[in-house]
Amino acid sequence: MTLNARIPEGPLPHKWGNFKDHCQLVNPSNKPKHTILVVGTGLAGASAAATLAEQGYRVKSFCIQDSPRRAHSIAAQGGINAAKNYPNDGDSVWRLFYDTIKGGDYRSREANVYRLAQISNQIIDQCVAQGVPFAREYSGLLANRSFGGAQVSRTFYAKGQTGQQLLLGAYGAMMRQVAARQIELFPRREMLDLVVINGQARGIVVRNLLTGEFERYAGDAVVLATGGYSNVYYLSTNGKNSNVTAAWRAHKRGALFANPCFTQIHPTCIPVASEFQSKLTLMSESLRNDGRVWVPKQAGNQRLAQEIPEADRDYYLETRYPTFGNLVPRDVASRNAKQVIDEGRGVGSTGLAVYLDFRDAIASQGKSAIEARYGNLFEMYQRITGEDPYAVPMRIYPAVHYTMGGLWVDYHLMSTVPGLFVLGEANFSDHGANRLGASALMQGLADGYFIIPYTLGNYLATTPLPEVDTSDEAFGEAEASARTRTMKLLSIQGDKTVLDFHRELGHLIWNGVGIHRHQQGLKKTIEDVRSLRHEFWQNLRVPGEATTLNKNLEFAGRVADFMELGEVMARDALAREESCGCHFREEFQTASGEAQRRDEPFAIAAAWKYQGDEQPPELEHETLVFENVELTQRSYR
Amino acid sequence: MKINLKIWRQEHARVSGAFVHYTVANVQPDLSFLEVLDLLNEQLIAEGGVPVEFDHDCREGICGACGMMVNGQAHGPLQRTAVCQLYMRHFSDGDTVTVEPWRAKAFPVIKDLVVDRSALDRISAAGGYISVKTGAAPDANAVLVAKPDADTAFDYAACIGCGACIAACPNASASLFTAAKISQLALLAQGQPERKSRVVKMTQQMTAEGFGDCSNHGECQSVCPKGISIDAIAQMRREYIRAKLPFG
Amino acid sequence: MISTQSSEADALGTASFTPLSSNKSPELPELPELPESSEWFSTIGKKLLTGITGLGLVIFVVVHLLGNLTLFFSASAYNRLAHIIERLGVLTYLVEGGLLAIALVHIAVGINIHMNKQTARPVKYAQYVSAGQPSRQSLSSRTMIVSGLVLGGFLVMHLATFKFGTYYTLPDGSGRDLSRLVFETFHRPGYTAGYVVVLSLLGLHLRHGIWSALQSLGIATRPGLYAASAVLGSAIALGFIGLPISIYFGLI
Ligand SMILES: Cc1cc2nc3c(=O)[nH]c(=O)nc-3n(C[C@H](O)[C@H](O)[C@H](O)COP(=O)(O)OP(=O)(O)OC[C@H]3O[C@@H](n4cnc5c(N)ncnc54)[C@H](O)[C@@H]3O)c2cc1C
Ligand code: FES
Repeated sequence: MTLNARIPEGPLPHKWGNFKDHCQLVNPSNKPKHTILVVGTGLAGASAAATLAEQGYRVKSFCIQDSPRRAHSIAAQGGINAAKNYPNDGDSVWRLFYDTIKGGDYRSREANVYRLAQISNQIIDQCVAQGVPFAREYSGLLANRSFGGAQVSRTFYAKGQTGQQLLLGAYGAMMRQVAARQIELFPRREMLDLVVINGQARGIVVRNLLTGEFERYAGDAVVLATGGYSNVYYLSTNGKNSNVTAAWRAHKRGALFANPCFTQIHPTCIPVASEFQSKLTLMSESLRNDGRVWVPKQAGNQRLAQEIPEADRDYYLETRYPTFGNLVPRDVASRNAKQVIDEGRGVGSTGLAVYLDFRDAIASQGKSAIEARYGNLFEMYQRITGEDPYAVPMRIYPAVHYTMGGLWVDYHLMSTVPGLFVLGEANFSDHGANRLGASALMQGLADGYFIIPYTLGNYLATTPLPEVDTSDEAFGEAEASARTRTMKLLSIQGDKTVLDFHRELGHLIWNGVGIHRHQQGLKKTIEDVRSLRHEFWQNLRVPGEATTLNKNLEFAGRVADFMELGEVMARDALAREESCGCHFREEFQTASGEAQRRDEPFAIAAAWKYQGDEQPPELEHETLVFENVELTQRSYR
Repeated sequence: MKINLKIWRQEHARVSGAFVHYTVANVQPDLSFLEVLDLLNEQLIAEGGVPVEFDHDCREGICGACGMMVNGQAHGPLQRTAVCQLYMRHFSDGDTVTVEPWRAKAFPVIKDLVVDRSALDRISAAGGYISVKTGAAPDANAVLVAKPDADTAFDYAACIGCGACIAACPNASASLFTAAKISQLALLAQGQPERKSRVVKMTQQMTAEGFGDCSNHGECQSVCPKGISIDAIAQMRREYIRAKLPFG
Repeated sequence: MISTQSSEADALGTASFTPLSSNKSPELPELPELPESSEWFSTIGKKLLTGITGLGLVIFVVVHLLGNLTLFFSASAYNRLAHIIERLGVLTYLVEGGLLAIALVHIAVGINIHMNKQTARPVKYAQYVSAGQPSRQSLSSRTMIVSGLVLGGFLVMHLATFKFGTYYTLPDGSGRDLSRLVFETFHRPGYTAGYVVVLSLLGLHLRHGIWSALQSLGIATRPGLYAASAVLGSAIALGFIGLPISIYFGLI
């Protein structure tokens, strides 16, 4: 089946305007009659909740953390893009659009990406007005930097804490509505099911994480902004609470899940130091502006970095990609790192790292210049590893960082379940097969502040919504199923902990659906993940009870969903017989080892439909039509 | 190395708690303190026990979810470091480490090391924002902000809301948390219209939540993972004088 | 028992914050309207009060100290100063009344802050250590209530000993011989020792107090002020202690 993205008519630059001109509006006096359930308080969820509440809707806002301000968006470091062209260096809405489409390797929807670029400027205005302390020049004007190899300086930033500052801005906007009693906050709640009545999303079932009680909430629409699923790999740069549960349960209620195999692996993370490590830490990719990436030329090297003479060093990115050198896109940098490590040329005690060396930069620019630029990153590196990067090269390794895949949504950000809208990283919309740096924050805020207020209003104004309340049998059924699943987890009382299973799953997915993928491996991964899932439901041990705070129980539910997702990721990667962006199928590469796209037949969004736990999902697709850009082969040589 | 842990265990808010001793062997210096608690919990589960609950999320010192007293210090012995970023290379074999939850009337214990910090959200709701309508903002460069002001505002805005300042304050005062937001917004042109009402409402809410008064011990600035200075508190008082007093 | 869809009424009423646990925290934001003068009794108002009154007392103490130091010149200079003050008449009473009021406010607010501290942390830490610089926590800051109360008690005794103590008349009958009383008192070893201890406590109180007052008034952001507070505090204490020691050991 082909999905209809409901893209408005008209030339690309006018589509969003046309939509806004012609969409239906909700009468102000009717807005308070609508309850909107917003799940997630990251950039997408917080901005949506605040804006919808400000417009007069009654908003109920849910999050896992104890405070909305702790959503994972808080950890974003580098910055947020906008086509302001303040530096006058040739940026424009078109260029931001084009870079994003191209960066995504032509696997995203033109109309969505163009709208994103159009809205980007308003986001910066909005955030500055909220008091977000972006970096400024001595003139008092906002400062910009070039990020992730972009040729223009379009990134706005607040030191290395841009996500934090943007989220606190959105959180403030939310809290204003809380004080105005337009938003009701429900922290420490985990959404465990979506309630669909007459084919419309009308409510959710959540578990109160402190009391263990299951709670029902009814509304006229459900907005999911629950973030990405990088934690399916166990080790990732995501917060420990990031998960796929809300999106996955919605998927099982009929929402299609698109491009699950599109996961981004970031090249500059601090490498794993121990088997008990719980989390990977990202270091800003700005480091690659001055650091040089290298490994020893010979495999099996035992010497310390300082002892390796220049002649024995392989600056592999510089030799392979003379034009872009160390600044090649994330996927290319990660893939090459994996390759040299697989050749046995990795460094450090585990051999799972490459060097990022500042020796030459310090020699040519002076230590203080490097310190001024990267001081806080160097400090963070030293705190975590105990090594001084001014004296010895940093060691870096790729880590899973972002998931482009997510619930399929149309131009209105509505999923295939009417009334279920999906925002931010949880949807699949704007980044295709690879996300450019500083564009996730932009997308989350565009979705929440500027898109959902229109498209949701249009939905409410055009859709008959019969009265429902939480005594409806659909609520009863959803609650019962959430409860049964939760209780089952507690009752198995096997031998292995959630952590054991999660680590094992992560291993399988990293090896099978990681930087390199190939047919055999993917087939095996499907089998392995499936049998791990079966073992999970036989041999899991969750301690404690269901009636107090029990993090093991929470995590068990999430890992259970990751097991199901992991299998679909492998299926998706298997079905996509091409290489594009972050999805590198070894069978599909050019003579020089670069990703070989196959636009025919894969210029599509692959959307999977749930068919039952033991049934393979069914593939539907949306054909991506490119009317405005020409599909070219990415080349960074 | 081997680490002895003396951890506060409390089932829920309505019962009293007590310290329990544990030992975790094979602790590697590259583990973070929270990873040692993870290890302990795996050990407890294997023995049929109940894991120690503690809040955490980002594990990179930015979300503010983690927080506990480690050997009598909020977030442990390292300054400018949240406990999730505290690595075991700062401890030695055989050390006994005492771990307690934040303690304050306004932070009731939920379970073990987890406390209820929603009071901080309510202080924020009382005025920790600029009331701007979505879509109504002027061009971002229409209003200039001098770089030193923008930089200082950022330093104050860096607060992660972990509550360490309150936990470490001998008076359990929330002055640094509250002042950081008030001072951030007071330094920005955009924050001027609500400048006066903000300081009054936020500090009133702070008192209503049951936090203590400030005695200028300044302990808060030493334990703040972001190193926010008590200059913010001085600024908050200037804001208050300006807002409330005839000579302000 | 399970479904807790909160009703519209709830949403409109009080439940903007759903309680996280059984410990209901105060709801937002309907705060009781405090009396008109609340700006002085709010948490920051109290700091302003202690700060202003504290600085007032510091000024008084410095003036008092300067007065004492005249004894190093001569007993008659000291007595002459006492006469001048006596002769100010009503003005003296006004100043004394004012000082008393300032001291009472300072003490009352100090006690209030101390009591709040007790309620704000009902369960104490089993282990508590200061994190060190740049913390301003010190023996001085932690003992403000103790040093303050001792100084308050001392004030009463001090007034009883000197102001309302034995009235020696000068040989020429021209007025009170206060210096004689001072010399007599400070030849008593117990009194002198006690005086030295209490005035050391004054130094301790001022070590944190002067800086703290400036911080409370929002003007302490200059880096040198904390050290300056220590220097001034110690100088005042040493100045006061110098006199009885000198008298006791017969240096003057
Ligand atoms: C280390 C790091 C650095 C990054 N740096 C950048 C950068 O510089 N620039 C950039 O553009 N992007 C960056 N990104 C990506 C970007 O931060 C994220 O994609 C984005 O913040 C996601 O926002 P979100 O609102 O979609 O979701 P999140 O911020 O992840 O929020 C998810 C919310 O959903 C809630 N939730 C989840 N599941 C449930 C459930 N079942 N029930 C109830 N609530 C639930 C959570 O509690 C949370 O509130 C970075 C990411 C990482 C990991
Ligand atoms: S876990 Fe996020 S700050 Fe420590």
